Amino acid sequence: MMLLRLISWPYFRKHILRTLLTTAGIVLGVAVFVGMHTANQSVLFAFNHTVDQIAGKTELQITAGETGFNEEVLETVQGAATVAVAVPAIEAVVDTGIAGAGSLLVLGTDMTGDRSLRDYDLEEGDDAVIDDPLVFLAQADSLILTKLFADAHGIATGSQLALGTAMGERRFTVRGIMASSGLASAFGGNLAVMDIYAAQKMFGRGRTFDRIDLSVREGRTIAEAQTELRTLLGPGFQVDAPANRGQQFEAMTAAYGMMINISSLFALFIGMFIIYNAFSIAVTQRRSEIGILRALGATRGQIRALFLGESAITGLVGSAAGVLVGLVLARGIAVTIGALMRDVYGVAQRADDIASDPLVLVGALLIGVTTSIIAALIPARQAAAVDPVQALQKGKYQVLSAGESRVRAVAAVVLAAISVACLFTSQSRLVFYVGYALVVVMVLLLGPLLSLGLSRLLRPVLRFMRPVEGALAADSLIQTPRRTSASVAAVMLSLALVVAFGGMARASYDSIIVWMDGALNPDLFIAPSQDIVIRTLRFPPEMAGELEQIDGIARVQAVRNARIVYRGTPVMIVATDTLSLSETVHATPVAGDPSTMWRETHEGRGVILSDNLAELQRLTLGDLFEIDAPHGVIRVPIVGVVVDYSDQQGTILMDRTLFEHYWHDDTINVFRVYLQPWAQVPDVKARVLERYAGQRQVFVLTNRELKDYILRVTDQWFSLSSVQIAVAVLVAILGIVNTLTVSITDRRRELGVLQAVGGLRAQIRRTIWMEALTIGLLGLILGLAFGAVNLYYILQIVHHDIAGMRLDYVFPYRVALYLIPTMLGSAFVAALWPAESAVRGSLVEALEYE
Amino acid sequence: MIVLDRVSKQFAGKRQVTALHEVSLTINKGDMVSIVGPSGSGKSTLLNLVGGLDRPSSGAVHIDGEALAGLTDDGLTRVRRDKIGFIFQFFNLLPTLSSLENVGLPLHLRGWSRSKVDARSRELLQLVQLGQRLTHLPEELSGGERQRVAIARALSIYPPILLADEPTGNLDSRTGAEILALIQDLHTRLGSTVVIVTHDMTVAERCSRTIALKDGHVVEDVRR
Repeated sequence: MMLLRLISWPYFRKHILRTLLTTAGIVLGVAVFVGMHTANQSVLFAFNHTVDQIAGKTELQITAGETGFNEEVLETVQGAATVAVAVPAIEAVVDTGIAGAGSLLVLGTDMTGDRSLRDYDLEEGDDAVIDDPLVFLAQADSLILTKLFADAHGIATGSQLALGTAMGERRFTVRGIMASSGLASAFGGNLAVMDIYAAQKMFGRGRTFDRIDLSVREGRTIAEAQTELRTLLGPGFQVDAPANRGQQFEAMTAAYGMMINISSLFALFIGMFIIYNAFSIAVTQRRSEIGILRALGATRGQIRALFLGESAITGLVGSAAGVLVGLVLARGIAVTIGALMRDVYGVAQRADDIASDPLVLVGALLIGVTTSIIAALIPARQAAAVDPVQALQKGKYQVLSAGESRVRAVAAVVLAAISVACLFTSQSRLVFYVGYALVVVMVLLLGPLLSLGLSRLLRPVLRFMRPVEGALAADSLIQTPRRTSASVAAVMLSLALVVAFGGMARASYDSIIVWMDGALNPDLFIAPSQDIVIRTLRFPPEMAGELEQIDGIARVQAVRNARIVYRGTPVMIVATDTLSLSETVHATPVAGDPSTMWRETHEGRGVILSDNLAELQRLTLGDLFEIDAPHGVIRVPIVGVVVDYSDQQGTILMDRTLFEHYWHDDTINVFRVYLQPWAQVPDVKARVLERYAGQRQVFVLTNRELKDYILRVTDQWFSLSSVQIAVAVLVAILGIVNTLTVSITDRRRELGVLQAVGGLRAQIRRTIWMEALTIGLLGLILGLAFGAVNLYYILQIVHHDIAGMRLDYVFPYRVALYLIPTMLGSAFVAALWPAESAVRGSLVEALEYE
Repeated sequence: MIVLDRVSKQFAGKRQVTALHEVSLTINKGDMVSIVGPSGSGKSTLLNLVGGLDRPSSGAVHIDGEALAGLTDDGLTRVRRDKIGFIFQFFNLLPTLSSLENVGLPLHLRGWSRSKVDARSRELLQLVQLGQRLTHLPEELSGGERQRVAIARALSIYPPILLADEPTGNLDSRTGAEILALIQDLHTRLGSTVVIVTHDMTVAERCSRTIALKDGHVVEDVRR
């Protein structure tokens, strides 16, 4: 501790800028980690908060995925010996038409029994409104709003509010205002409550409920109630605590979580290199100080502890600052994630408050400090190895890394061999990930050797361009491979991430476009909500026949899609007339006989799975597929596997007759409409809208509009990774600035000599710029090369572990081309300030600098 | 001709230190002058001011009639580039460059063509008797050889003024004598003005004039 105060603190103070730059590496790494995780947590917390507040005193909820179930189930549940109160519920997300209000979550519930589960805490309006069930029953247009929403939009009791329902826009009367706490705080306050039977009608539910909320009879346990209800209802129902919905939400967004983890890991890893670089250089620069300490009796252990202590303090300060920056970032990211959740997963969510999980924050601090200490391990070891005699001789540089290159090269070759073996000799995922980790380590081991080799190759070129500046820039890199290689490694890692994500994005776009062209070929899509992924509004089945009567329409395919829980994961069922589908969809199956699989599916003798579901759940053609439905267990073989990107967790394609039979649900989410060859899309669209004007809420999307929507959502999905990439590049730039700052300090005398013998300021600047550009170029070359390998691994991870998507390997040349000016430009910008500092110091001091 | 007119130099810090106090002196063209004095007497500061490496706090320095005070940093650099050659105690060779490249450095900075730089550098290294060490890096040379390379670099444009700061201070006595003989020989052959800062009186006595400094004042000026 004393050494830290006496030796380290003055050093930090003297090199304040370098200390700040070093710390900034950890700040950024930790900030990305905290920002991403906190934003994700906040959205999850908001979802759970909404579930909790809506659940009230509910101890168990009965659901059948998203599909809902018939009203009779309520009687069965209410008759159970362990159940005290059971109340049906319907939830729908609707548009209000109020500018800036966003979506409103409407909870339809049975007011008669509901007050024992939920406290409405009316602030305005008559409590009799909810005490007397007849008020809501008799007046189906009744609505209760939250104070937050009402105040924000100037609504009072008795006001009218228009909502988009399955019946078209309907006006509702506000009968009461809930105080802003408890239930009213759910969904960020954008909540309305209405009668369940009115909700059934308004949201096209027929005679079904979405779920039943219940409390357990006094003296009975929740476990007893679960057991009884599962026995009574069968396997098609989920009987779980409300908190379970949060777990499902998490499972559904697992792919996104995985992306966040990979990017955060890279950001931290890059931060580690900046720390390593800074400490490695500090050891070289402070060798005389170390020599003096050793001469005065400091042990090797004390020297090692001194450097590790410094790194721990740097890590702690950097992590603490990173946590604060991360929390600020999280607010912005949470909004983006919230929008993503709505558009990709169809789960509308508002994250108005940042939920900072103490575990994430403490974890980030620990990770930051640990990363910093790990990064300083090698420099600390080298510091301990400093020979005091050599260190105290002026002008004598001790070669600290003699013989390291050979060891590195041998280790890299061994690791390369093992990683190749991991790839080809085992199917185990663990072995695959070990192989991936080894490849990263191998690349990092080879990094210094490769950057040294490339610097040597580039020297004649640079020297040819500028005999003095070019040669000095190259020599600076050649002379100090360790200083260079850490920065090059930081750039390389971030570019490898950019290339991998860029390649993945490109492959995803290509695959999605091919899928859309083959599968999404109807002329029109008709949905009850403008957000096609929101499935809380539905059409009645008779609408299919009505549509077929409209002039110009040749074929109508009614589609019911809903999430169910399969092996604990929410997956999507797509139920439609599969025979009709087979006649219109042009796609070669991944597995299965196209001449028989559609017919077998149509006849209810099989299901077709999406490629990603088969991959993620390790299912293959011919396997017996079991789905627990509310009205029995479906046991049919898998007759085909097709490429389908409807849902990230996977899609089960079945015939609608089979779905209706097992779910007793004939409602429709979307109609796929094919036109007569002579019909004009705008004309038919107008006719459809005219047909349902004032009767039903109908949104008609043309083929192009739907495809644009999907591509927009895909863009949104990748936009967050762009933010992460930007941060990674920023960290890399920071690395270059750090390296150059240190390089200039190291070469102060050299630059002084250059000026003393006639070097003009412009020439000195050019030397620094060329050095920076060369670091950028080395990082670029190695980054693109490692990125090509990284892309392969990322595509494998996406295929097998994240989304099950089988993406073709295509190197993202466009991204690579874009990176060349970006990185070289960034390197140049990174060099501007260091170059200025190089020409502004005292020449006399520079010449005396040792 | 080098003229210092009431030149003072103070260094600011926690307490101000006066390194030179109103020093005035003139060094004629073609002179070989030594500047002696104890540590802290201001001799290196004086050399730095003459070489345009530093600026005086007050007073004026003229090189060949040109006042350095009004020049920008790049202007000072041009003066050094065109008129002054430096020889340092610790050689200050660039460790990554060969002897040939080190000697050619000022010429490249002046924008000379590669072939011209190469020819001049070889010629100079021959002149300092290092024709056989052209491609050696500084770490591959002995102390005396390094100083010879440094001298060759200082002579690269055959400057009218040669400034040497303890040129033998980092060498053993025999090598030091050799280097001094070389400087004297070059002075005679090339006719440059040579200013040598030294602790060593045997070095000082080899010069035609010796200026002694103490506490920033000229205390003795001996001509031989």
